[in-house]
Amino acid sequence: MTHPLYGTTAVAGVGLRQFKRGASPLPERSLLVEAILDACLEAGLNPAEVDGFVSYGDDKNEPVRLMGDLGTRRLAWSASVFGGGGGGIAGAFGLAASAIISGQAKAVIVFRALAEGASGRMSAAVMAHHLNDHLLAAGLVSPAQMCAIRAQRLFKHYGVSQSIVEDLVRASYHHARNNPEAVGFGQDFDIAALHTSRWIAEPFRLFDCSRENDGAGALLLVSAEQAQDLAKPPVYLLGCAQGTEAGWGDLLENDADDLYATGGFRPVARDLYRQTGLSPADIDCVQLYENFDAQGVMSLIDHGFCTYENAAEVIRFDNLIAQGGKLPVNTAGGNLAQGFIHGIGLPIEAVRQLRGESANPVSGARTCLLAGGPGAPTVSSAIFANKVL
Amino acid sequence: MNHRLDGADAPYWQSLEAGQLQLPRCASCRRWLWPAGHRCSTCGSIGMVWEERPLRATVYSWTRTWHRFALTEALDLPYVSIVAEIEDCGIRLMGRMDDPSPDDPAIGEAVVGRIDRTRVGDDAIPTIIWSRAA
Ligand SMILES: [Zn+2]
Repeated sequence: MTHPLYGTTAVAGVGLRQFKRGASPLPERSLLVEAILDACLEAGLNPAEVDGFVSYGDDKNEPVRLMGDLGTRRLAWSASVFGGGGGGIAGAFGLAASAIISGQAKAVIVFRALAEGASGRMSAAVMAHHLNDHLLAAGLVSPAQMCAIRAQRLFKHYGVSQSIVEDLVRASYHHARNNPEAVGFGQDFDIAALHTSRWIAEPFRLFDCSRENDGAGALLLVSAEQAQDLAKPPVYLLGCAQGTEAGWGDLLENDADDLYATGGFRPVARDLYRQTGLSPADIDCVQLYENFDAQGVMSLIDHGFCTYENAAEVIRFDNLIAQGGKLPVNTAGGNLAQGFIHGIGLPIEAVRQLRGESANPVSGARTCLLAGGPGAPTVSSAIFANKVL
Repeated sequence: MNHRLDGADAPYWQSLEAGQLQLPRCASCRRWLWPAGHRCSTCGSIGMVWEERPLRATVYSWTRTWHRFALTEALDLPYVSIVAEIEDCGIRLMGRMDDPSPDDPAIGEAVVGRIDRTRVGDDAIPTIIWSRAA
């Protein structure tokens, strides 16, 4: 019995606008409108026909306010995935697909927009979601610190070698080097810069952390049937899972002992693979939300690509790059080196990769896993493919 | 007094104000429950009792902060935050560690606490400050 989400909807267009933090030439909502127009233009769909919108991470752009600019005729459906971090990013696609499959909407934009002037620092907004006196008293006021304290346990209790995060960082910059849209375009990343960059919160130095950009991203999701008639080759959603399970959540650091040094994806990955009938071996590339590099490692472990024990064998530079690696990760540079608009660049790269449009094409790639923001109380993941397997 | 008395963990804050540590357990099955809530997920009972615990713990994890984040202005950089697993009850609490030595805290290391305050804006939040057990 095929799952209702399996191959029944597809991404038909993407749009991305990215600038240095604080340097957007346009207001946040205008950036978003531009990204949506780009996505519709790619697809060859009149933006006025978009009738659904979904976001995540407390995006402040309520879709009803976009109607004028887009010429929206009928706003039939709008929603947001709960949670302040990037945990909901993949879940937004599952939600959009549910609206399409159930006939509540026909053309749904999945979006995220962020400009410092309008929304302030994202890290502050994410924390505002969680901050309480327990955290304030401990001086733990940022996602970097909360992720650092988990990373310490990964390295010092589970003995995962800290050097493997370097391979993830190097692979990200390697990919960004070829990507004209990336922050790291054309730059040679010197790994010494990672070691000598200033401490933020141990074990994280500055270059272990993704740094925010201004920008907006939009992806147009329609039924698989309608996608056949649009301009771009469809990129199908094969499955999506979100949430958490007992023992993980907003628990004042009282998560179950065996889950503490994870990204929180175990139940999500389990459901995603069960739903799609796929396994890690079927995944040709990964777009991995790495707010912090150690959390990216946890996410790969959670999704079954490696274990605490063999992480160092799998998370190697040569294995993570598009040019010959078995597990190409963040082929546009990821949050670390492409740019960080709360992760929305990741599904856009998933789509481009599966269309053969990536700056770092993975030869023969059919499937791409999108892993949402690790460490959030609720997380999500999705699998995309360029044909329904 | 303040917003700390609005939540299910009000007795925790009150106990720190009074110079001791009290933590909640299910009134029926005696399971320790944290964060404080309303209903025990193990046995389904409503209601908790609060019991004093000694300020003794082990280091579950830690980080040393070097960057000046907003809301930490009253803390000298760098400072060490720890997740402390309280002795005999398994509840983990966030706190800070006295960091006079350059040695890193070690996971599993025994620590003892004292109650101090952390200034955040106009507020002074009761805080457990941990030190290496002698
Ligand atoms: Zn009980």
